[in-house]
Amino acid sequence: MSATKVLLVDDEAEFASALAERLQMRGYDAKAVYSADEGFESISRDAPDVILMDLNMPGIKGIEALKTVKLVHPAIEVIILSGLGSEETATEGLRNGAFDYVVKPVEIEDLVIKIDQAKEKKDRK
Amino acid sequence: MKLRPFIDFLKSVITFRPMDTGADFAEMRYKGLKRTLVFWMSVLTIVPLLVLFTASYYWLQALFHEESRHELAWDIENAKNQIEYFVDVKISALRFLASGHRYDQLSDQQLLARIFAAFKREFGAVVDLGLIDKHGIQQSYTGPYNLQGKDYANQEWFHKAVTRGIYVSDVFLGYRRLPHFAIAVKQDEPDTDTFWILRATIDMETLNRLLSSIKLDDADDAFIISRSGTLQTSSQHHGDVLEQYAVPALLRQRGITILDLKDDAGRPYVFGYAFIKDTSWILSVVEKSGTRTKIAAVFRAEYFAVIAVIVFLILLAAFRMVHVMVNWIRESEEKREEVLREVEHATKLASIGRLAAGVSHEINNPLAIINEKAGLMKDILMLSENNVDREKFLRSVNGILDSVKRARTITHQLLGFARRMDVTPEVLDINDVLTEVVGFLQKETLFRDVQVKQNLGADLPRVKSNRGRLQQVFLNIINNAMDAMEAGGRIEIITDLKDKSTVRARIRDSGRGMDAQTLKHIFDPFFTTKGMTKGTGLGLFISYGIIKKLGGNILVQSEVDKGTTFTVELPVDQPVPTIA
Repeated sequence: MSATKVLLVDDEAEFASALAERLQMRGYDAKAVYSADEGFESISRDAPDVILMDLNMPGIKGIEALKTVKLVHPAIEVIILSGLGSEETATEGLRNGAFDYVVKPVEIEDLVIKIDQAKEKKDRK
Repeated sequence: MKLRPFIDFLKSVITFRPMDTGADFAEMRYKGLKRTLVFWMSVLTIVPLLVLFTASYYWLQALFHEESRHELAWDIENAKNQIEYFVDVKISALRFLASGHRYDQLSDQQLLARIFAAFKREFGAVVDLGLIDKHGIQQSYTGPYNLQGKDYANQEWFHKAVTRGIYVSDVFLGYRRLPHFAIAVKQDEPDTDTFWILRATIDMETLNRLLSSIKLDDADDAFIISRSGTLQTSSQHHGDVLEQYAVPALLRQRGITILDLKDDAGRPYVFGYAFIKDTSWILSVVEKSGTRTKIAAVFRAEYFAVIAVIVFLILLAAFRMVHVMVNWIRESEEKREEVLREVEHATKLASIGRLAAGVSHEINNPLAIINEKAGLMKDILMLSENNVDREKFLRSVNGILDSVKRARTITHQLLGFARRMDVTPEVLDINDVLTEVVGFLQKETLFRDVQVKQNLGADLPRVKSNRGRLQQVFLNIINNAMDAMEAGGRIEIITDLKDKSTVRARIRDSGRGMDAQTLKHIFDPFFTTKGMTKGTGLGLFISYGIIKKLGGNILVQSEVDKGTTFTVELPVDQPVPTIA
């Protein structure tokens, strides 16, 4: 079984790159991009299994990006990386098809469990 | 006399200083307010009353005075009438004698003696009787003295009797040194164009008796004077008969006159007088005792006693009313201040909450980066087994990760306080929530050997609230209670109805309690007594925020070494009336 492909979309580059690296160490095929546009580009090139996505990014509105992803690639599961105090947005994300959300700073163990669950769900489809 | 302190006191009483701060000052202010109110209430009620009483008093006194003058005038008139009657009777009797007898008959000494005897028997008080011819010679005389042949031609009384027809003399001392007066009646002989005079001497004793009919006190006097001021009767205090009395100017000759005069020493007295008909006498009464106004003195004592009682009652009522009123004011002011303090506190907490939320949000992103970087470092260390300082690095990285975790707990809680709750309020039973919370903590209480006693009110109305949030609050309070106690402690949970719109839950522990200083900061953020490792100091801060958002109230009472009671008050659900 090939490694789960994870795409991290977060404008906080330091955070995203470090998290991606840690996921790679745990055997995931993780890649970090730093804007929604880059994200779309990456998805169109190589669709991931799971997307970790911050909804509060400059440029395109996070929720719109989520909707677009789910519309174009309904199979890909999206886990929202929520900032503190933006649980409302996260809840809205869940209503718009996100798999789950985690609040930053994240516990890597929790995140890993959620990614696996998302992958499982995707595989069941 | 030092007036200054008195004036200062009056000023302090009359003027009320407006509000300032400080408990001592407030106490002084209420005392000042009491003084001012009592003063003005007393002044405003007592002064008009006293004016009224004084006016009535003078009016009544004038009435009494007038009444006593009337009484005196009445007595004088009585005595005057009696004296006039007495004199009149004597004159009439003499005239009767004169007209009933001829000159030659009366010249008969023996007949005159018989007539005198009858006269004395019938009218009394007559000393002698004599017949005087037109030349003034006493032709016949009967009486105790030998006055036959006495020549009166040059005496004043003879001339007055001749010209007036009737003459009543002033008093004189007879040969026996007793006061007498004489009555002379002229009888004309129409045939011979001549005249003669019948003269009788009357004892003054009877007049003295008549004077005593005037009601007088020891200090008073009643006597008769002549127009020239010679005393005609003896007096108590104004000299003996025939002595001179300093008569005030007597203007009115008719009727009875009462004068208010002052003696040489300036003491007031009443002088009443009346002229006696057919004589030169003036009946005089000097009243110095004020006997007639004594009834006024008794009345005055009662009057002042009544005023004193009324004033006392007014003062009593004023004190009582002011006391009650000022207490009302004090209570409402204290209540207002408490509400203001509460509002201020709530506002302060709310702004702290907003600030904290903002800060937390900003801190959270770098925190996330630190977390990932440190996590990455840890991952790398875990993989590289040959690093000499691996253990040392791992310890440091774990330290960083733990700190991030702690920081995250704080930022999460802070945000939890400030975040608007988008939960829909539900109607629930507060007893259920408490029972659940106690259920959660069952293991913990067993472990800590804490006894939890539930005293939950039956049939409490349901409250509109949020189960999760309420659980959070009660968990926090009960956890705090357990932290404050040694093993074997006791927690009592009581629910009841505070009033018809408020349900109340009280959580009372037997812990070590808190002092006033701690109590003051109990709901402040980052305030903890547990030490940095055990508590964040946000639990009660957040609980406070939750209860306020639920429309309730959270209160705390505590006493060192006695324990602490937290009270949570929640509004009852107001059921919408169903449409029939």
